Amino acid sequence: MAPWLASGLIYSSGLALTAGSITMIYITTRTFNFAVASMATFGFYISYTGVELYGGAPYQYYPFVFLFGSFLGIICYFGLNRHLLRRKAAEITLMMSTLGYDLLLLSFIQMYADFLTHTYRLFPRRVTMNVYDFELFGIRAAAIILPLIAIAILIILHIFLTRTKFGVAMRATIENPVLSGASGINSDSVYLVAWVIGGGMAALGGSFMAMAMTGTPVMGMYTIPLMFAGAILGGLGSLYGGMLGGFLIGITEYAGVFTLSQQFGPWVQGYRMAIPLILMAATLILFPRGLAGIPLGKLVGKLTATKRGENT
Amino acid sequence: MTTENGLKSNLKEFITRKEVPVIVIILALLTYLLTSRGVPIILTIFIDFAVFAIITMSLNLETGYAGVPQFGRVAAVIAGAFAVGAIPGRILARFMDLPYGLDYASDTINFRVVPEINALLASSWLLSIGFLLFSLVIAAIAGAAIGWLISRPAIRLKEAYLGISLLAFGDFLMWVGHNWSGMVGGSVPIYVPDPFRIFAVDRFTVIVLVIFVAAFMVFIYMNRLARSPFGRSMRMIRDNDVSAAAAGIDVVKVRTQSLVIGSAVAAIAGGLYVIYTGTCTAFGFQKLTWTFWPWAFMMLGGIGSTFGVLLGVFLLSILRSMIVIFRYQWFGFLLEIGIDPLWLEFTLLGVVIIGVILFMPHGLVPEKIEPMLPRRNVRRVLERKNLAGEK
Repeated sequence: MAPWLASGLIYSSGLALTAGSITMIYITTRTFNFAVASMATFGFYISYTGVELYGGAPYQYYPFVFLFGSFLGIICYFGLNRHLLRRKAAEITLMMSTLGYDLLLLSFIQMYADFLTHTYRLFPRRVTMNVYDFELFGIRAAAIILPLIAIAILIILHIFLTRTKFGVAMRATIENPVLSGASGINSDSVYLVAWVIGGGMAALGGSFMAMAMTGTPVMGMYTIPLMFAGAILGGLGSLYGGMLGGFLIGITEYAGVFTLSQQFGPWVQGYRMAIPLILMAATLILFPRGLAGIPLGKLVGKLTATKRGENT
Repeated sequence: MTTENGLKSNLKEFITRKEVPVIVIILALLTYLLTSRGVPIILTIFIDFAVFAIITMSLNLETGYAGVPQFGRVAAVIAGAFAVGAIPGRILARFMDLPYGLDYASDTINFRVVPEINALLASSWLLSIGFLLFSLVIAAIAGAAIGWLISRPAIRLKEAYLGISLLAFGDFLMWVGHNWSGMVGGSVPIYVPDPFRIFAVDRFTVIVLVIFVAAFMVFIYMNRLARSPFGRSMRMIRDNDVSAAAAGIDVVKVRTQSLVIGSAVAAIAGGLYVIYTGTCTAFGFQKLTWTFWPWAFMMLGGIGSTFGVLLGVFLLSILRSMIVIFRYQWFGFLLEIGIDPLWLEFTLLGVVIIGVILFMPHGLVPEKIEPMLPRRNVRRVLERKNLAGEK
């Protein structure tokens, strides 16, 4: 496997999880969650701290990463989001509130990085996590394990949403909050679960992305437009669309930069952000409802119809 | 009517009741500044206040009046800063037979070219003033162009989508500046010719005065704009774009115009800031400082009220500078576990945004609902109606 493809796979699995987290929280609570940026960075720092202080591979700390992300999500829900949802705040107000939470978390991340430097003599401001990785079948283990984890999470979520009673209740709330409330579903707990899953996914996504890029305290701040681009590409309507959108954004960026820098030289690297942004702008202009809004069935139907017409 | 009366009423019309306290406060600040000159901390606070006042007022025009969630304020500021950093100096260098092409921004040439330009500027009043005005015009044009450009794909979108696209665009512009070293030096700061060099020692005081005058003019302009038909149509779109469209207002056109005007004003602030610091570097324009701080200022002051916005900028920028200046005296205990108290700036920012949203959703000075007509005319109409009723 080519090196760019390996890092591309790792990076896009991370983006898939963060974009999925944004979509998850948006479809349940109508909140564009800015705090995904700092939740992701915190996830990376949890795995980094674990590896540095207790040794081992980064993968064994992922459960803690998920739990910590969920914890951050719960704080955001009980401290902030719940009051605003009860007040029926506008979408922009909800978004700004998570931005405030994100900046608060960012300051804590910076303080935590200072603390690590001071107390444990580490260098947490420029981290390359892949030095803690090992080889599996001749390639970096992360390129195999991380996409598998992302797919596993997708499958678990699918089973949760379709096979369990609470998952069905959750889908009902997403479809029609008023009607589901009238039939006795507690929307409060649905929102809480969305924040728990969303926070965990965001933190996990951040620790994934750090395996492919340099981990810094502002890592999330710099990648947040890409996470949103993934969610928008997915159409912000379905969880699966969001994860697919994030994955596509990541893999297009890596593939595009690789091919273009072969063609034009390494200076293309500096403008790599243009690729996902162009993709996002094109989606917004052509398919305002994202990938989920592309009338795939209709298109296929049309094609088959013409074929049938030719045959007869 | 005598001319004196006419002048009086003209003046009355020009300066409304709302603007009087602002003028008084600004005059008091300026006298304090001029009497206590030579205190760099106070000068820095003043310049920060004035620059961010302009930017926040432009943000208030787009977000408070027109209802565009402008999360890419930094883009317009960058446009102004880069334009002033890149263009006027090159033009002067062209006439002085100095390198003016891509190598103008190269770090081995720039630090030799700019002092020569500065020497020329310091020799002539006319040239200095012309340079300053030309820089500001260039900044405004660049800002308006960027505002128009970002409005093209994004303006028809729903509010949150629009906010995200604007945010991404601002980030992208910063990366372009950081990587394209031919424009403003890329990762190495480039020097900006200084039209205030002619004032020698008093340079900083004069800059404060100029930026204050600019901020005050923007304040007057924003108040005029808010009460104009254009301002009313902006607010109508913000409150309900469907009914505004039904009333015959071209929603896309008004939103685009508000973005263009706001971006031009913010770009002027960016240009002034670059001239004040004397250097221009892409990484100096982070969205944290130039988008999120203005948002916090605006939310604290009250979205949609220009006076409130000024108050928000004033209070918060003082608080922010206090933290930066006194961080070791007040928060020294954090240093014992190795934490730099500078990060408390972000904590303050987050706490302000959350606190305002939770406890004070309309800010310190909530937007007043203004009647379509001036109060005098409304009273006249009512009187006429009463008379008709009595008859």
